[in-house]
Amino acid sequence: MENEKTGLVSKVKWLFTEIKTHWKTPAEGKYVPYKEYLDIWLAVGSNYSGTKTLDYISFAAGCYLIMYHYNLPYVVFAAIGLINLPLQKFWDIMGWIVNDNLGFMPKQKEKKLYTIYFFSILIGIFLMVFNFQPYLDLNNTVVAALNSIRGISAASAIKILGTHILWNGWAGSRNIFWRKKLVPKFGRYKYFLYCDVVPKCIMVILIGWLPVYEIEDVVTRVWVANALFALYNLFGFNNCTELCTQNISPNMQERILVRTYPLKLSHILNSIMVLIIPMAIGFTKNEWADINVYRYVIPIIFITFATLTMIFAGKIKERIPQPPIEEKVQINFWDGIFGVMRNKYKWVLTLVGLLDSLGNGMLAFTTIVYLYTFRLSGLAYGLLVSLISFAGTPPDFFTPYFIKKFTYKQIMIFYQLTRAMGYGIIVIAILLCGDNVTLCGVICCIMLFLMEMTKTVPTAVSHDMDIRIGDYQMYLSGERLESFSGIFGWFTSPITTLVGLIIPILLLKFGFNSNWDVLYVDMSRVNIIVIPIIFDIAGYLLMTIPYMFWDYDSAKQNKVIQVLERRAEVMAAKAEREGKSTAGSFTGQTGGVADE
Amino acid sequence: MSKKEKKELAPVQEEKLNIPDDEVWTYKIEGLAEPQVGVSHKNAKVKKIIFVAVIIIAVSLSLYFSVVALLNTGKLEYKDLGNDQYELMQFSNNGLVKDFTIEYTAEFHYDEDSAGLILSGGSDNSDSSGFSVIYDNAQPVSSIHEYAFDCDNTLEVIRIGANVTNIDVNAFYSCWNLQCIYVDDENPNYCDIDGVLYNKDMTEIICYPIDHDRYLRLKTGYARMEDGVQISNLLDDNGYVMEELWGTTEKYDEVFFEKYNMDVRTYVLPSTVEKIGPLCFNYANVVNIYMPEGLKEIGTLAFFNDGVLNNIYSYKTDTKVTETKYTGDESLGLVYLSLPEGLEKIGSDCFTHDRGLRYIYIPSSVNHVGHHAFWDCVIKEDGNLVGLAEVNVAASKEDFESGEIGSPWLAKYDYMLFKKAIPVNYNAQRQEIQ
Repeated sequence: MENEKTGLVSKVKWLFTEIKTHWKTPAEGKYVPYKEYLDIWLAVGSNYSGTKTLDYISFAAGCYLIMYHYNLPYVVFAAIGLINLPLQKFWDIMGWIVNDNLGFMPKQKEKKLYTIYFFSILIGIFLMVFNFQPYLDLNNTVVAALNSIRGISAASAIKILGTHILWNGWAGSRNIFWRKKLVPKFGRYKYFLYCDVVPKCIMVILIGWLPVYEIEDVVTRVWVANALFALYNLFGFNNCTELCTQNISPNMQERILVRTYPLKLSHILNSIMVLIIPMAIGFTKNEWADINVYRYVIPIIFITFATLTMIFAGKIKERIPQPPIEEKVQINFWDGIFGVMRNKYKWVLTLVGLLDSLGNGMLAFTTIVYLYTFRLSGLAYGLLVSLISFAGTPPDFFTPYFIKKFTYKQIMIFYQLTRAMGYGIIVIAILLCGDNVTLCGVICCIMLFLMEMTKTVPTAVSHDMDIRIGDYQMYLSGERLESFSGIFGWFTSPITTLVGLIIPILLLKFGFNSNWDVLYVDMSRVNIIVIPIIFDIAGYLLMTIPYMFWDYDSAKQNKVIQVLERRAEVMAAKAEREGKSTAGSFTGQTGGVADE
Repeated sequence: MSKKEKKELAPVQEEKLNIPDDEVWTYKIEGLAEPQVGVSHKNAKVKKIIFVAVIIIAVSLSLYFSVVALLNTGKLEYKDLGNDQYELMQFSNNGLVKDFTIEYTAEFHYDEDSAGLILSGGSDNSDSSGFSVIYDNAQPVSSIHEYAFDCDNTLEVIRIGANVTNIDVNAFYSCWNLQCIYVDDENPNYCDIDGVLYNKDMTEIICYPIDHDRYLRLKTGYARMEDGVQISNLLDDNGYVMEELWGTTEKYDEVFFEKYNMDVRTYVLPSTVEKIGPLCFNYANVVNIYMPEGLKEIGTLAFFNDGVLNNIYSYKTDTKVTETKYTGDESLGLVYLSLPEGLEKIGSDCFTHDRGLRYIYIPSSVNHVGHHAFWDCVIKEDGNLVGLAEVNVAASKEDFESGEIGSPWLAKYDYMLFKKAIPVNYNAQRQEIQ
């Protein structure tokens, strides 16, 4: 006992000395000083909470703003998606080229892209402003077809298309401009915060205050709302600081350590927000349906966290071994495509994603249980959501242990099996004791709690798999090709779209259409929950198969990092010799891409 | 754990690679593919052709499925039950059908020059010329499936033929514009009273169409028809037409408003009715309801989201009442407040979201109250409870709780940071009509 006590005291002493010694300078073989741990905690916590706050705003049927105030016909979201879909492929390709070259392209190519984007802006404005109504032949099949979609007309469809073209032209040119300006200084993952955060805050305020939802004519309301939300989406604010921390060190152990402690602690801040937002909403008169949620609650919370994010985000560094930006490998379209196609591990994860899509189209199971089975709101809702989302935090502190003890393959296969088993028990509970709201609810919550606990280690592993794949891609092609990886989505989209059709059709049979109140009907609620979950369970079981082919181990990763560091070293030396800029370079020896 | 996996788990001995400067872009790691940076690809032309072909097929298929998803409306789906009987599984409106008959299987027919009409969702001003519903007299429909008409917002009238012998309780769920359901007199199982659906012997009321009050406004002279369109006769204080009257105005005083509510938003259940079916009055604009003594059951979600429901009355009479329009207490015999004596069952979510209710008295005969029966019937505004502030129960606490009582069954309001159930007065006396 005495020995144990002494051991503990000496460990605490060692930890204290370790932190004190390496507060500003990292230990030998490590890259991140402990002071940066503190910055990570605050930056990611704020960024994550801000992002979660924005989850309440989206141009989708499930958004409370759309559901209670805009009252847009259900069909318009699919229709707008379809109007934009063909051209989207074109924008995607251009975006991939810009993104995976970090905005740095040969002058000629850059000029061509700017020209295309500029003309797109002009065309978009013209399509939005000009009234095509008098020139449309009502007997034309396409015109008649568009006119017959509720909430859309042929003339408004042109405006919607114009919005899409204008948006992509504008977003594309901003993408090149700001990347070139900001990536060398702030790195590839968080640069956009510096140009987007202010307009984003303004848009968050405008979304609640602009009375677009008061436009009486539904067709006008639809296209104006689409334009408003498009403008809102032009400015990004995703959880980019967390992405930075995933690339914070070339040292795998250190990466996991950062993920486990400061990052996980930062999620606690979000758990508190998950509690506070519904509480604040609960104080408004009409709760989720109250417009003041969007006028006051969301903007105040978001702007607070956006400000905190901007204070701390600059103190986090990306440390991807890479050559100076001006010396980086130029990626053309076919290099990008062939590059990602050669990455075996991307195929493995694509297959996993494809099987995961078996549950596509299902409603959020937890939302149904909380809101329609338990009828929770306010603090009670927040407490339960927080309790369950917090369940994953304690086990995450043991992530380094699990990663040492088991292979990534074992962890991911175990994860799929636990999910299948957990949801299986939920299905049995709903079917056998669905009449007893309390008992059934308690079983569901316990299972959700346990599943959340078993989720955190695999989630950390899954993120690290993505980072490793990125490193491996960089070894294969000279760049991470994160955007070009989108091509896998093109391959799988027919299957995911088809699968995505099946569950909504089944849900329609059980009464789920545009009226969510059907979830108050006990029997329908059971079917609406259970049938999609059974699809999901099948998906989880099948997902174990592709993971069998994962053989990218730590030894291979170490070698890949060595290759990347050598490349960075050689190219940085070359740049120095030639008197060129070394901005954006990280050789694994000194501090990384940072905004000092 | 396999040997290979154990080997993988062993502490990684970092093998130091010796990579010459001129090989940094070509150095191949054992067990991994060879890097290809800035080099030409083998068989690039063939690969490009295959890639483009596969992508075109994938994108086309994806577009096709998206269109299919969008057009998953504007169709009728029947199931062959055998013995030349069919079940209507799904009626998906194309936005043009306002009056539909269920007697034989039907299909939507479009003239060749009206192909555009097949796209669905239905705009309000769709031109329906060139479109018709064609019936097949050889295929009688005997059954209507659950949610067959779910969330239709175009249909105004449904006519049920003599062959239909089975209608699911959820069949007409959320038919927002449905005003009347008419039943063929020859139908053996169902009938209607002025557009409200009952079983044949009128012991159960099955469906009070959501927009039935619109029909009643026309019938009682608060609206008129012009060129096939119903126009309201009600005008607001600025002289503009208003569809409905929700309170008194300068033009319409308390007396007028009360008469309007009696004409349009008051419903008398026939004295034969023993059961109010599940979802029967959901979303209906009914302010006053008169229930007969003899009513045994109020179904699940029967008055769900009937936010204007203010008063529940019961009546006891020896004479048969079939007139569903309120004509005065004298025609109903003894009239008293709230739920009728003899009532046994109140279904789950029966009065959910009915914040207009002010008084409820549960008679001692009730032995089943479903979960959330009075959910969200109250709200706290400026420190005061608005809506159902308490529930009165005739039985003692012990007697009442010996029945099947759902958990929770009471309305709750915001209290501190949580919710608190409204109080229950056991051994209560029924309030007199003021």
